[in-house]
Amino acid sequence: MTDFLSPNYLLTPSTLDTLADAITKLSPLAPQVNADGLCRLQPLSEGVLSSQALSSFVPLKKVFLPPREKLWSFQSGQFSALKQPEPFAVVGVPLCDLQALWYLDQVFADDLPYQNRRARALVVGMPCEQDKECRCDRQLMPLAGDLFLDQEHAWALSPAGEALLRACGAGETTNKPLPWPTASAGTRPMLTEEQYRSAADAAIWAEAAKGCLSCGACSVVCPTCYCFDMLDESATDGSVTRNRSWDNCFFAEHAKVAGGHDFRSGRANRLRFRMEHKFFGFGALHGQNSCVGCGRCRTVCPVDIDLDQIATRLSGEELA
Amino acid sequence: MKDALQPVAAVLHNIVPMATDNHIFSFLPEQPMALAPGQFVEITLPGVGSFPVSACDQVRDGLITACIRRAGRVTEALYQLEMGDVIGLRGPFGKGFPLELFKDQDALLIAGGLGMAPLRGLLQALLDDPHRKARIIVLYGSREPEALLFREELVELSKEAQIEVRFSVDFAETLPSLDDRVVCKIGLVNELLTDLNFAPRQTVAAVCGPPALYHCILEELALIGIPAAKIFATLERRMRCGVGECCHCVAAGRYICKDGPVFSLEQLRTMTEAI
Ligand SMILES: Cc1cc2nc3c(=O)[nH]c(=O)nc-3n(C[C@H](O)[C@H](O)[C@H](O)COP(=O)(O)OP(=O)(O)OC[C@H]3O[C@@H](n4cnc5c(N)ncnc54)[C@H](O)[C@@H]3O)c2cc1C
Ligand code: SF4
Ligand code: SF4
Ligand code: FES
Repeated sequence: MTDFLSPNYLLTPSTLDTLADAITKLSPLAPQVNADGLCRLQPLSEGVLSSQALSSFVPLKKVFLPPREKLWSFQSGQFSALKQPEPFAVVGVPLCDLQALWYLDQVFADDLPYQNRRARALVVGMPCEQDKECRCDRQLMPLAGDLFLDQEHAWALSPAGEALLRACGAGETTNKPLPWPTASAGTRPMLTEEQYRSAADAAIWAEAAKGCLSCGACSVVCPTCYCFDMLDESATDGSVTRNRSWDNCFFAEHAKVAGGHDFRSGRANRLRFRMEHKFFGFGALHGQNSCVGCGRCRTVCPVDIDLDQIATRLSGEELA
Repeated sequence: MKDALQPVAAVLHNIVPMATDNHIFSFLPEQPMALAPGQFVEITLPGVGSFPVSACDQVRDGLITACIRRAGRVTEALYQLEMGDVIGLRGPFGKGFPLELFKDQDALLIAGGLGMAPLRGLLQALLDDPHRKARIIVLYGSREPEALLFREELVELSKEAQIEVRFSVDFAETLPSLDDRVVCKIGLVNELLTDLNFAPRQTVAAVCGPPALYHCILEELALIGIPAAKIFATLERRMRCGVGECCHCVAAGRYICKDGPVFSLEQLRTMTEAI
């Protein structure tokens, strides 16, 4: 879908330096591997230009939809408004996370806290190397973000990104395609909604869900999982804060209503629901597959549940 | 951009006890709020939580009125509040009943249990239309006679020949003595349909009740001859955000809070597993 992006620029060394300075001023976050071996998005310690795209354990979504964020507070009968975030940058974002960002941008198009952060963030993608767990697909959906940097090449992904490049003195444009990793799109299973639905009662679901611990780790690390709950916190001074925190469709309370009726009871139903969301989308995004193929869920699952494998079985294809 | 997750402060204006654990609460929001029949608001009790609720009346003098059952943690806390206390309201959310379809058509309202609360909101909207001449038929089933909500009011309206009412109760030693015009039977609410004299082709139906009610009655209404596009049901789901983001309410790939909660049978037939 996004092979070429125009304009894309060939940058001179001095333009690159100016750009790196501009980004550094925005206290950038970047994926970095820590001593414990885990890759986290954290304040960048080295220069912008020496960073590289890595798949962080917890994906980019945490920057725009924090695991826990304050929505409002209440004191003496008054609800307070939101505080505006400071401008910031994220660099070293892999292409799959830029796709996931596009998806979240659609979901949260009318969400003020999310959009406040998006409007103040500069998101910079960089090329990555394909990991053995990755199955990214450039055709899946468009990219969001502001810039993409590959050594002396730069792509403007947004008007803000383009303005920044021009302000830094970028001039000469080229026709270089984005450096997607050699994607394994051919090996992604194709599951139609009919196949998904016709398998409504299939033993496949029960079997796949049998080992599931309902731990929710797969949704935590998924760059396009976004469901949330809202919980209150009372302080000793009588003030109340409402927080929005990540929720998880694997949790037993997710679809339960007063009186105890559960609209999605049992693990098999919940696994089906997660798969439905990933492969077919909800609401206005119905029809949009949102599994960007990052492989995080597969890697993190303690019992090796793999949505692609389930899809392969449901679609009646042989396992690759 | 409006922050849909930010409540508007509202004062608890009045509490009218009706049946046990089913009181009518009215709230006066700081800024005027619209709320059509079938739509809902999220009521926030700071420090406790929030829950969705439909109105049981038209917005009158700026007041948002709902019949709220003491059903759990947050509603329990609401029952502890006093008049003058401040709560928060978010909304209005969702798509309500298509009032324009009810014009010049007979209205058949079918409620089970607490389902009468939102339908009473629709009923008030129909009664408020000064040009309305068509029939309004209310079929209302409840566990026991004491649990029938708005019972006196419905009987009164029936006496005035503004509406026609039939009650059913699951259990009762003796049936309450109601007005002659009011039918009351022991049994399930769909049994009230069997000898009902009405013109299905010129009727619009609205159904609200527990999930079990929807399994049979919606298709039954279609069988009798009401077009599927004129049979409406309002779906209950766990709802947190109200704006199609949090995913709790999703059924058949749709955000029930945003696309619904009111759907026609024509829509529901395409929504696998929604009812
Ligand atoms: C569109 C709509 C209209 C409704 N209209 C009415 C009405 O007119 N009158 C009335 O009494 N009740 C109505 N309800 C049901 C009402 O929302 C629940 O009774 C209420 O949420 C119970 O909250 P609780 O905290 O007291 O219960 P608990 O069981 O303690 O709930 C715990 C948590 O689950 C959530 N929850 C529980 N049940 C529901 C539910 N059904 N929907 C969403 N979240 C839920 C609550 O928000 C709460 O955070 C309506 C529900 C919906 C979806
Ligand atoms: S591979 Fe797993 S974690 Fe990555 S996008 Fe797909 S479902 Fe989400
Ligand atoms: S519903 Fe499940 S699959 Fe969808 S965003 Fe929430 S946790 Fe992820
Ligand atoms: S209530 Fe949050 S998506 Fe419907």
